[in-house]
Amino acid sequence: MKTKMKRFAAITATLLLLCGLLAACGGGSGSGGGGGKSESGQVYFQNFKPEQDEAYQAIAAEYTKETGVPVKVITAASGTYEQSLRSEIAKKDAPTIFQINGPVGYASWKDYTADLSASEVYTHLTDKSLAITGEDGGVYGIPLTIEGYGIIVNNKIAAQYFALPGAQATSLDEITTFAKLKAVVEDMQSKASDLRIDGVFASTSLKPGEDWRWQTHLMNVPIYYEWSGEDADLSDPAATAEIKFQYSDNFKDIFDLYLNNSTIKPTVAGSKTVDDSMAEFALGKAVMVQNGNWAYGQISGVDGNTVAAEDVTFLPIYIGAPGEETQGLCIGTENFFCINKNASEADQKASLDFMNWLYTSDAGKAHVTNDLGFIAPFDTFTDADKPADPLGQQVMDWSAKSGIQNVPWNFTVFPSQQFKDNFGGYLLLYAQDQMGWSDVTSKVIADWAAEKAAAA
Amino acid sequence: MKVKRSASKTLTYTVLIIMVLVCVAPLLIILMNSFKGKLFISDDLFAFLTPQSFVGGANYVSGVTKMNFVGAFGTSLFVTVASVILIVFLCSMTAWYLVRVKNKFTSVLFYLFVFAMIVPFQMVMFTMSWVSNRLSLGNPVGILVLYLGFGAGLSVFIFTGFLKSIPIDIEEAAIIDGCTPMQVFFKVVFPIMRPTIITVAILDVMWIWNDYLLPLIVLDTGYTTLPIAIQKIFTGGYGAVDMGGLMAMLVLSIIPIIIFYLAAQKHIIEGVVAGAVKG
Amino acid sequence: MQKSLTKYFPAFVLPTLAAFSIAFLVPFVMGIVLSFSDFTIVTDARFNGFDNYVRAFTDPSSNFVYALGFTALFTVVSIITVNILAFLLAMLLTRGLKGTNLFRGVFFVPNLIGGIVLGYVWNTILNAILSNFDLTLMYSANLGFWGLIIVNSWQMIGYMMIIYIAGIQNIPGDLKEAAAIDGANKRQTLFRITLPLVMPSITICTFLTLTNSFKLFDQNLALTGGGPSNMTEMLALNIYHTFYGRNGWSGPGQAKAVVFFALVGVIALIQLRITRSKEVEN
Repeated sequence: MKTKMKRFAAITATLLLLCGLLAACGGGSGSGGGGGKSESGQVYFQNFKPEQDEAYQAIAAEYTKETGVPVKVITAASGTYEQSLRSEIAKKDAPTIFQINGPVGYASWKDYTADLSASEVYTHLTDKSLAITGEDGGVYGIPLTIEGYGIIVNNKIAAQYFALPGAQATSLDEITTFAKLKAVVEDMQSKASDLRIDGVFASTSLKPGEDWRWQTHLMNVPIYYEWSGEDADLSDPAATAEIKFQYSDNFKDIFDLYLNNSTIKPTVAGSKTVDDSMAEFALGKAVMVQNGNWAYGQISGVDGNTVAAEDVTFLPIYIGAPGEETQGLCIGTENFFCINKNASEADQKASLDFMNWLYTSDAGKAHVTNDLGFIAPFDTFTDADKPADPLGQQVMDWSAKSGIQNVPWNFTVFPSQQFKDNFGGYLLLYAQDQMGWSDVTSKVIADWAAEKAAAA
Repeated sequence: MKVKRSASKTLTYTVLIIMVLVCVAPLLIILMNSFKGKLFISDDLFAFLTPQSFVGGANYVSGVTKMNFVGAFGTSLFVTVASVILIVFLCSMTAWYLVRVKNKFTSVLFYLFVFAMIVPFQMVMFTMSWVSNRLSLGNPVGILVLYLGFGAGLSVFIFTGFLKSIPIDIEEAAIIDGCTPMQVFFKVVFPIMRPTIITVAILDVMWIWNDYLLPLIVLDTGYTTLPIAIQKIFTGGYGAVDMGGLMAMLVLSIIPIIIFYLAAQKHIIEGVVAGAVKG
Repeated sequence: MQKSLTKYFPAFVLPTLAAFSIAFLVPFVMGIVLSFSDFTIVTDARFNGFDNYVRAFTDPSSNFVYALGFTALFTVVSIITVNILAFLLAMLLTRGLKGTNLFRGVFFVPNLIGGIVLGYVWNTILNAILSNFDLTLMYSANLGFWGLIIVNSWQMIGYMMIIYIAGIQNIPGDLKEAAAIDGANKRQTLFRITLPLVMPSITICTFLTLTNSFKLFDQNLALTGGGPSNMTEMLALNIYHTFYGRNGWSGPGQAKAVVFFALVGVIALIQLRITRSKEVEN
């Protein structure tokens, strides 16, 4: 009898424990954050760009020293931002500042973004249309920077080529179409040994996670021509639900040009990273590489860099589309910051204060232009705050050129990371002769529609 | 006959030595490259060290500073040691109770532990990370609870298997002498269990030290274990991939296991096999 | 004994049981329930029947069925390579040669190293070898497949070898002697005496290779990451990618996890059946 009582008590205790546990699990769904944090709030910034991790860490340390507010910066590995944000944001100690890449990112994360329309930093934004706004008119994402990309050229080697007998052009200025670019590149490749280069283009990095220069950035150009031909309204989801990939052959042409006139054979592209290609360019093994102004730090940071600042120039990415003679660089932004509205009030305020400091104080502004290399779209930045790096300056020059149509960043409405990863996989298989181009085209069209439908 | 014998002996040795080379070559190549300059590594991984390519401990310095090796190593060490101690004590106590107290509840519990053994981690991955987050277990102390809970299946199973085979007489004699069950367990039973405890401890050390996915999805940002740091360094999570630092980090993460192995080789081989046969 | 011990439940069982509930029981039950629900963050779960299972199997971007086939093929090939090589090594190491223990010790080393570290060691080495032929592990699913087989075999052979050695050493010496006296040649001894008597070890090793290969995750992630184009993605990695790589796929991810669990469970039941029936025979 006595043992029975004991056993009963034991079982009851266990059940109570389990119930308590389940209750702890079931309850308090919306009230995740808070508790045990310092009253003045703290900042946890989940950064999108691995290239800028070091700069952000230094800025965070300085801000903490100056104000005493703890700032933590965590950077996700290339291509894994969405993934790590998804696991981080579910945690109690979630990021207070995170980044989205545009309307598609906003759609995924709108449950977490706070309205920033009343924030000070928003009032300084020069072009309010750049911000991400919700259906309710609130401002949920503010751009950190304007960026531009194209084909980066090593002028010094290019000049050596133009001086050779039989060169296909006499200067870069003559290259305003794909046909001319192709003629120059192919001739240059045939004279690679005279120019002491391994190839014209730095390796086409197709390692998974390192393929964004093609599946996102290069793809932007044919899609731009497709949509501008249709006068598509990009804020209307129906207009971007499907693509025809009408300039698919143009994509293939330029992609082939990259692959076949390169420092490496296409079959090893699957092991190459963006860092590898930037190192080849910096060491003078390649003349051209497709990338953006943010890569200048990577070029100048390579040990044994042979490329002087005055020797780097941007060339637009010509794909052979009609009217491309007046085409410029691809200029836009995919770097918006958001404040996590589920963070505690104090943390949200601390985070906004941090961003405000970064974009309005002299110390902060200096970091933005010099260390992060940003072209900041805020009125607190004057001509004196222009970026020092040559690629950033050229992006500003191109954006002001008359008679030039720069290409906007339409890839901010590309379906999803899954779409891009799949596309990168197809490009890898194509580069290795394991998939035909017509298959790539049809799969890309199908994936686009499927991923758009899944997100809707 | 004799000639034939020694010929077959030579052949056996040749085969064995080739297999040994295949077995250790990858590790030796990594070790060698950890002393090469990074450009030499990407140039030819298999080239022997030369005075030109030798950079001393530079890769180790850059690797250790870049990926906060000390922090990751410390977390891994603490989590492994503390979890194993918890598992060994608490699971052996549970196992003894389950073996000596026979009722419906204990037998149901026993089968639950056995059942947990076969359930793959992916099955509970998502929900476990959610529960642990709700209970604030995303730190090196909290994760001990998860390792105890998830490791309990195999450990309790192995302990009960052993305990069933030892006679109850000594324990009963101790009770008659006036010992409390607590005293009986720690003075009589626990010492007898020594070989099984070593087995369980070794299996759990190897599991927890090398575990990647559980800490990845559970630990809050700021805490890193060695496997997570290695994965991060390879995928560029610390900026540009530095082949030199990477080789050095691979070596540093392998060395503790090799030391552990050299120190307890006999127990490890026996323990792992015992675990396998029983599991 | 039982009487005095029973009341010590809170001290002996409760801590383990509490941790077991947090880490296993509760997540397991929640996992089953959520596999029939539409959810993004658990608390917003709504029952949706078998939708998740249907999506897991039929959605063209799910890759689950492909991963299942790839994993099955990988497992079968692994069982063959691992067990044949491990058995051969065990035969060589049970001839009473000098240095046997040293060899045994060395062959076991790869088994100690974690899958992530190991995967990256081999990733570096295989890519360096392949670069001589202007190829990489990302070249095709075939290369990735055999790369995985190499890594998996390299890691598991030493382990299985130890089990086989124990099995072979358990064969009574006089049996072999008697066979030799009866004029049996080596091949006959192997097939008539050794193999039948190490059958229990063969069963154990086959199932160990089977479950471990079937559940492989770390090595897969580190060696190929599933590439090129998800063509070397195994089940565990596919589930991980589904959960943490995609929006709106948590439900199908949990459904995949349940299917994965069911498959592993079936394998374990078959194993139990076979070992039980063997025990009865003996």
